Amino acid sequence: MSIETQTLHTNGKRVLCIEDEHFISELYARALGRRGYDVDLELDGQRGLTKAQTNNYDIVLIDLMVPTIDGIEILRTLRDPAKTPQLKAKLIVITNLEQREDVRADIEKQADGYIVKAEITPSELADILDKLK
Amino acid sequence: MDNFQALRAQIRAYLIFVVLIENVLLVGGIWFVVKYLNVSLDSVALGAYGVSVIMTFIITFAAADYALIPLKAIWQAIVHLVPNESGVAAPDINKMVVGRTLVASLTAQIYQIVTVAEHSESVAFKRSSDLSANFIANNLPLPLLVLDANQTILFANTTTCTYLGRQSNDLIGQNLYSVLNMSFPSEKTLDSWLKKTKESAVTASQLWERVRLNVTDNQPTRLFDLAAYYNTDNPQHYETLLVLFDHTAQYSQDDQAIGFVALSVHELRTPLTLLRGYIEAFDEETQGKLSPELEGFVAKMNATAQQLSAFVNNILNVARVDNDQLSLQLHEEDWSEIIKSTVDMMSLRAKVRGISLVQNIADGLSTVGADRISIQEVIANLIDNAIKYSGASKEIIISTKLNGEGLIETTVQDFGVGVPSAVLPNLFTKFYRDHHNRAQIGGTGLGLYLAKAIVTAHGGNIWVDSKEGKGSTFSFTLLPYAKLAEETKNSDNKELVRSAHGWIKNHSLYRR
Repeated sequence: MSIETQTLHTNGKRVLCIEDEHFISELYARALGRRGYDVDLELDGQRGLTKAQTNNYDIVLIDLMVPTIDGIEILRTLRDPAKTPQLKAKLIVITNLEQREDVRADIEKQADGYIVKAEITPSELADILDKLK
Repeated sequence: MDNFQALRAQIRAYLIFVVLIENVLLVGGIWFVVKYLNVSLDSVALGAYGVSVIMTFIITFAAADYALIPLKAIWQAIVHLVPNESGVAAPDINKMVVGRTLVASLTAQIYQIVTVAEHSESVAFKRSSDLSANFIANNLPLPLLVLDANQTILFANTTTCTYLGRQSNDLIGQNLYSVLNMSFPSEKTLDSWLKKTKESAVTASQLWERVRLNVTDNQPTRLFDLAAYYNTDNPQHYETLLVLFDHTAQYSQDDQAIGFVALSVHELRTPLTLLRGYIEAFDEETQGKLSPELEGFVAKMNATAQQLSAFVNNILNVARVDNDQLSLQLHEEDWSEIIKSTVDMMSLRAKVRGISLVQNIADGLSTVGADRISIQEVIANLIDNAIKYSGASKEIIISTKLNGEGLIETTVQDFGVGVPSAVLPNLFTKFYRDHHNRAQIGGTGLGLYLAKAIVTAHGGNIWVDSKEGKGSTFSFTLLPYAKLAEETKNSDNKELVRSAHGWIKNHSLYRR
C-alpha cells in the first residue's frame, strides 16, 4: 500500500519500509514522501521479504520486531546468496531494542546501517537517507 | 636461541649419521647376498625393501626417544618441584648427550623461579607477622591490605579476612589480582595508576569510587570505594596501602532503584518517539499557517518533548553506566562541528525560554577522539542544566579552546542562580544519593553524573566553578585525537568498545 503525501518533488528513489507499528510507518512515509522518496509500506515480515527480493528498491528499512518473520531473519535471507540474488538496495535496520551479541554481530556484518528509532525524528531519518550513496 | 640451534644441529647430525649407517648396511648386505649366497636380484630387492622398512621403524623410534630426552628432562624438573608429587627425581643432566647446555640453563631457570617465589612468600609471611603484631594495623576496623613492589600481598588485617571471607594464609604472599578480581568504573584502574605512579612519584594517593569486587563462588558481590597510598621510600618496603570502604548496601540499592526506573522508562521511548515525530510533522506542515502564538505553542511542545526524551535517555544511560554497559567507540571527530550541531539542537529549548546560546569556538582546533552521540549528550546535559538554572539571566556562553595542558577544554557558563557551596562536592553524584540535597539540586545530578561518567570514559576531566547568585561554569576536557591515538597505541586495549547507538556505514552524519 502506498500512502498519500504531499510530494514536493520526486527524487526517483524507492524505499521499502518493513515496520508493523502503524504510527511509525505513517510518520516515516510522510517525512520521506515530502523529501521525494517513493515509499512502500509493509507490516508483515514474510510479505516484506518477498517484496525486498524483487530488487525494486533503493533502500529497505527493516524493523526487527515484525510479525511472521522477524527482521534479523529477513536481513539474513536477503544477504544469503543462496536465497536472494545480489540486491541493489541498502539495508537499514531500525529498532528500539538493544541487541543480543550474536544478533548485533550479524547486523554489523550484513546491514548497511542501524538506527535506533528513539534517537532520530522522521526528518532526521530523511537527512540520513539523503546522504546515502 | 643459540642453545636451541645447537640442539637442532646435534639432532640433525645424529639423524644423518643413522641414515647413513642404514644405507651402508643395506648396500653392503645386498652386495654380500648377491655375491656369496647366489640369490637372484629380484628376491634380494624384495628382501632389502623389507629390511629397510624395519630399520626405518627402529631408527625413527630410537631417534624420537633420543630427541625427546631434553624435553623429558625439563618436564621432570617441573614435576620434581610440584609439592605433592613424590617419587620423581630431579633430572640428571650430566647423563645427557644431546642439548645438555640448553636443558641445564632451562632447568636452572625453573628452579630459580620457584626458589624466588618461595623466598618472596616467606618474606611476605615474615613482614606480615611484623604487621600482625602492630595493634593499629591489625585491628583497624576497615579492610587494610599492604602490597610490595610486585603487588604481592604482604599483610591483610583481620577485617580484610572477614570482609573477603578468606583466611589470612590464603592472602599473604599471593598476587593481589589473583585474590581480588576488581572492576573499576573507568579505565583508570589501580594497576594503571600504580604503573604510572611508579614512573613518576615517590609517594602518592588515590581514591576510586564504586569499585566492584567480582566473585566466583558463593561470596556476595561487593561494592566499595578504594583508597590507595603509595610510598617507595620506606625501610620496610611496604609499597602500597589499600583501604576498602564498603558501600555494598548503598550502591546496590542505588543500582536497583535505577534499574527499576530504567525498566519503566524504557516503555516511554516508543510513545515519546511518536510524539516527537507527530510534533515535527505538525510543525513542518503548518509553517506560516498558524498565528504567532500558536506557532510558539508548537515550538514549546517540541522543546518540551525533546527535553523529556533527553531525560529518558539519561536514565537509560545511567543504568548502562551502573551495569558497566555504557560502551563508547572513540573516533576522530571535528570538535567545533560537534559543538555547533549540539548547540543547534539545544537552541529551541533555550529559545522558548528567551535564552540565547553564544558560541565562542577557538580557531584551528585539532580533532578530538570522541564517541559522537555520548559526548553530544554531555554538552546537551550541561546546556540543559544552564538553562534550568539561568534564573532571570538570558545568556549562556559555550566556549572551547586548547588549554595549557594541550587538552581541548570546553566550558558552559551561565549567569544564573549558581550552586550552593555545600552542594558542590556532591554535584556529580546521582541525584537520589543524598536526600537532603534533593530539593536543592532537583534532578540535575543525574545528568551531571552521566556527564562525568562519559567524560571520564573519554579520558577527560569535568569540574565546576560556581558562585551563588552569580552563576556556574562547567568545564570538561577531551584529548586531541593525536594524543588519544598515541595512548591507545601503548595500551593493550586497542579495540575500543561498541555502543548501543545507531550507525550507518561510511556515513559521517550519524556514525561510522
